[in-house]
Amino acid sequence: MGEIWVLVDTSQGVIRNVTYEVLTAARKLKEKNGATIAAVYVGDEAGSIEEDLSKYGAEKIYKIENPTLKDFNASAHAHALAETIKKHNPDIILAGNTLQNQDFLPRVASRTSSGLSFDAIDIDINSSSTLQVKRYRYSGKSISTISYHDVKPMIATLRPNAFKPVENQTSAEVINESIDVPAENNMKVLETKIIPKERPELTEADKIVSGGRGMANGDNFKLIFDIADSIGAAAGASRAAVDSGFVPYEMQVGQTGKVVSPNLYVAVGISGSVQHYAGMGSSTIIVAINKDPDAPIFQKCDYGICGDLFEVIPALTEEFKNLS
Amino acid sequence: MKILVIIRQTPDTEAKIQANSTQNGIETSNIKWILNPFDEIAVEEAVQIKEKSASEVIILTVGSERSLEALRTALAMGGDSAIHITDDSFADMDSYALSKVIASKIKSIGDVDLILSGKKWIDEESGQVAIQIAEELGIPQATLATKIDLDEANKSVKVQSEIEGGQRIVELKLPALITCERGLNEPRYASLPGIMKAKKKPLEEVQMDSIDVGELGLTKESLGNAGSRLKVDSIEIPVIKRTLTILKGGKSDMVQADEVKKASEELARLLREEAKII
Repeated sequence: MGEIWVLVDTSQGVIRNVTYEVLTAARKLKEKNGATIAAVYVGDEAGSIEEDLSKYGAEKIYKIENPTLKDFNASAHAHALAETIKKHNPDIILAGNTLQNQDFLPRVASRTSSGLSFDAIDIDINSSSTLQVKRYRYSGKSISTISYHDVKPMIATLRPNAFKPVENQTSAEVINESIDVPAENNMKVLETKIIPKERPELTEADKIVSGGRGMANGDNFKLIFDIADSIGAAAGASRAAVDSGFVPYEMQVGQTGKVVSPNLYVAVGISGSVQHYAGMGSSTIIVAINKDPDAPIFQKCDYGICGDLFEVIPALTEEFKNLS
Repeated sequence: MKILVIIRQTPDTEAKIQANSTQNGIETSNIKWILNPFDEIAVEEAVQIKEKSASEVIILTVGSERSLEALRTALAMGGDSAIHITDDSFADMDSYALSKVIASKIKSIGDVDLILSGKKWIDEESGQVAIQIAEELGIPQATLATKIDLDEANKSVKVQSEIEGGQRIVELKLPALITCERGLNEPRYASLPGIMKAKKKPLEEVQMDSIDVGELGLTKESLGNAGSRLKVDSIEIPVIKRTLTILKGGKSDMVQADEVKKASEELARLLREEAKII
């Protein structure tokens, strides 16, 4: 009976929600193969993470702590995790599809000669205990079912919001791993700037409101920010809006922007091109506001208003404010 | 400076994707193929570096005969020479084996100072191969670059990147690998003279058979679909099943100014009571 590892993602010392989602997903595998679920922290200082992790079903917690791991460095992180993998030989490693995990897990996969896939929307194991993932390829345009073959560990990252975190209290045994991490002298972090965000991160947001070419200019995005704030949503944009210079690229949703999967996606003045839908098509509920009755988005949404966004959005913002 | 840009040919962003007859891949015949948009940014960056300092820009891809077009596009943008690793058995090679093959080719070129690539392939939705190449070569990486400052005298490069919740600047010693994010530059269009010149630029065709995979810890059998660590069992095209409740105006499709309040109330109600989302 092997172990399933779940990597712990933290943001300024706090465990990110995606970690609880991944722990919940790991339990789905445990039900089938009876594996032990272990949470794995790699970094300079874990702090007291035991209580929160055991609330979501972690039975073991490996703490790989080393001052060298303070500033994230893909090689150093990969070294620390790969050495621990070699020691304990887990069957499966799951993690949130965060930028940091996408940055260092490929190196771990190379070092441990294992299989890796990113951004799974569902996971399962078959009778021979091999991992199977479902993931989008060609953006939102196709879903592939992919199996791992004769390889261990089987590593996968899971798309944020794909699993709903469910608590399951356990008591976790803490194991401190001391790993020598050689100082990396070919890479140096000069500056790290955390930009305080007024709104949730697009990739993890539960609700998103995005504006498109129909916004006409950058100033008008105030309407998007206002309605987003009325429901605690993140603010996004279509490629057309970004290419027109209305808002920065960080806000772009679509095949060449961010791929998102919120419970509610409101597309404002967005026609709904194939490449935009590829980035948000897995949203639970899609709402469209557009004045063109023939806009493709009206064939791909759950609810919509065919009308002038400059009239509809202020009115809808008022309605949302009244509801909350 | 010797700069190597790793590119890939991908379906166009507007391409309609359909499953093939065996339902484990996509139908490739009616697709328009392009140079992966993020790799285009990498090519542009390499060419801009070349324009500032005497550098050589080599473009490398692994793929079928068809991907020659993507190489030509990169050459037309300003690349100096190209390497095309071809073999049909590569088609379903996993990233582990692929990165080893590419890394070994890069080693044989020798003295490559900087390797650039896009942040991800838009077909596989992954940027793992580039990072695995950096690992195989034992060189540092910076991903999602939005600004690159080379310091040739000190053999180093400063890279600004997006990180979770912000950005950071790192300094890498060369040789190094950098993946490129949108915003780094605005890729140029290949000019007609550029396209003409591209046809005369050196192109090295490398057959899989010529690479000593045994030396890489691989076997011939481990390449291609048969030996892949990850196999696609099936592929499905998601069917759009949406309720399409569109609120329209009384007189025309468009909701008129005096109908906006009513429509907004109704939408808010639907989202609360029917979708239970607000």
